[in-house]
Amino acid sequence: MPSVSEERKTNLVSAVRRLQAYEEIQNNMGRLIAAFNFRQADKVLGHFALGRPDVWLEFADEGVFEGPDAVRQIVMETVGAPVKPGEMLDLQLNTPIIEVARDLQAAKGVWWAPGGGAIPQDDAPPKAIWYFGMVAVDFIFLDGAWKVWHMHWFRFIKCSYEKGWVEDTSMINRLNVPVHPLAKPTTYHNPYSPLSIRDGIPAAPRPYDTWADSGWMLERDKSR
Amino acid sequence: MDLDFTGIDDLGEEEFAALENTVAKLTAVWEIRNLRGQAAIWHDDQHIGQKRRELQAMKHPSVNPDAIREFRAKAVVDSLEGNMLLHPLNMPVIVVNDACTKARAVWWSMGIEGLSKFRERPMAIVSLGMVPGTHIREDGEWRILNGAWQRTTKNEYHADWVHDMQPTNTRPPLTPEQDRNFLGKYAYRPDEVRKASPEPPADDTWEKFPDEADMSWLYVNLEAPKAK
Repeated sequence: MPSVSEERKTNLVSAVRRLQAYEEIQNNMGRLIAAFNFRQADKVLGHFALGRPDVWLEFADEGVFEGPDAVRQIVMETVGAPVKPGEMLDLQLNTPIIEVARDLQAAKGVWWAPGGGAIPQDDAPPKAIWYFGMVAVDFIFLDGAWKVWHMHWFRFIKCSYEKGWVEDTSMINRLNVPVHPLAKPTTYHNPYSPLSIRDGIPAAPRPYDTWADSGWMLERDKSR
Repeated sequence: MDLDFTGIDDLGEEEFAALENTVAKLTAVWEIRNLRGQAAIWHDDQHIGQKRRELQAMKHPSVNPDAIREFRAKAVVDSLEGNMLLHPLNMPVIVVNDACTKARAVWWSMGIEGLSKFRERPMAIVSLGMVPGTHIREDGEWRILNGAWQRTTKNEYHADWVHDMQPTNTRPPLTPEQDRNFLGKYAYRPDEVRKASPEPPADDTWEKFPDEADMSWLYVNLEAPKAK
């Protein structure tokens, strides 16, 4: 009986490891977003590769927070801020597009995230809102776990439930207040409005061997 | 969790091939989810004429590439400003055949849209529906053979789905009857019992419907019950 070749064994083991990575990444992102919804800053941070000096988080038009200190600070200031009664954010990931590098050291993922929320008001019941976005992530495999290396949240709609995304564009852009001192310039922000044009960003990741850069998130060449 | 591959060297050819096939089918499900996610992104941005890699299987005998290209070349709005079609993919049911060459799937979707046909202020739309379809391997990757959007609702945001049904936007516009026979064939109607279509593919879908071009698997619930 001919034995199975070493090449086939290697290929099979690699394929199984990539499938395992796929499942682990989906679970980790689900846990991260659940923690984000529940305003659990420590748990959110636990999913980031804070041991890496090049870890970053870009959030809509608030800028890029690069380095472990900046990521830690912005997450604590936002997710970790005191939660008011009636406040809610409920993002739900779907439409996953995930590519695990063939070297199994990194992965790229895009999810769409429709959601609803509620914003407390002074002297009035909370305001119900729609809050949709997309998220693009580079993952890195560190110490036996998949960690968020680079994350870009693309705000898509943020509007009152009552008015909808065409009538209410008052919340799609940041307020005219000073940008965060740790923020580097925003790389992309194109929420839906009656004047906006969609352009397929974040782009879907493509199969790859080894991580090179995060340019794929904003890739406009759709021929590859 | 580190995987333990102890025993892999002891597998015979038949056992190993079966394991390879199982892994290939699981990988296919992943790749098809990626494929349809990519298609959803490009459906949203609606940039006709832009050079893009092909997601559609163009070489299969059941496909008319010229008709597909002609369909893609038809603008249905004057400007892309304010237009969007966000149809997220939820609840996937994907069944790959044993040879790992073709797969049937159905997703459900709670979508939102913005529609501006003639540069008028867009209409906010809520659109529920499904994405049923068949996929095959072509040029070394999974491609969409058939199946796109099946509408359940498409209503102006404030009107709700009981009181409003927007037709699919085409040029020239569809009559209600034409729309009803197109993407709205199984759409919600307040005066009708809902039709159970598309049926998600069953595990034995490829035994019952071996032809990948056969779409009747979607409509098994619509067959008249047989007399006893």
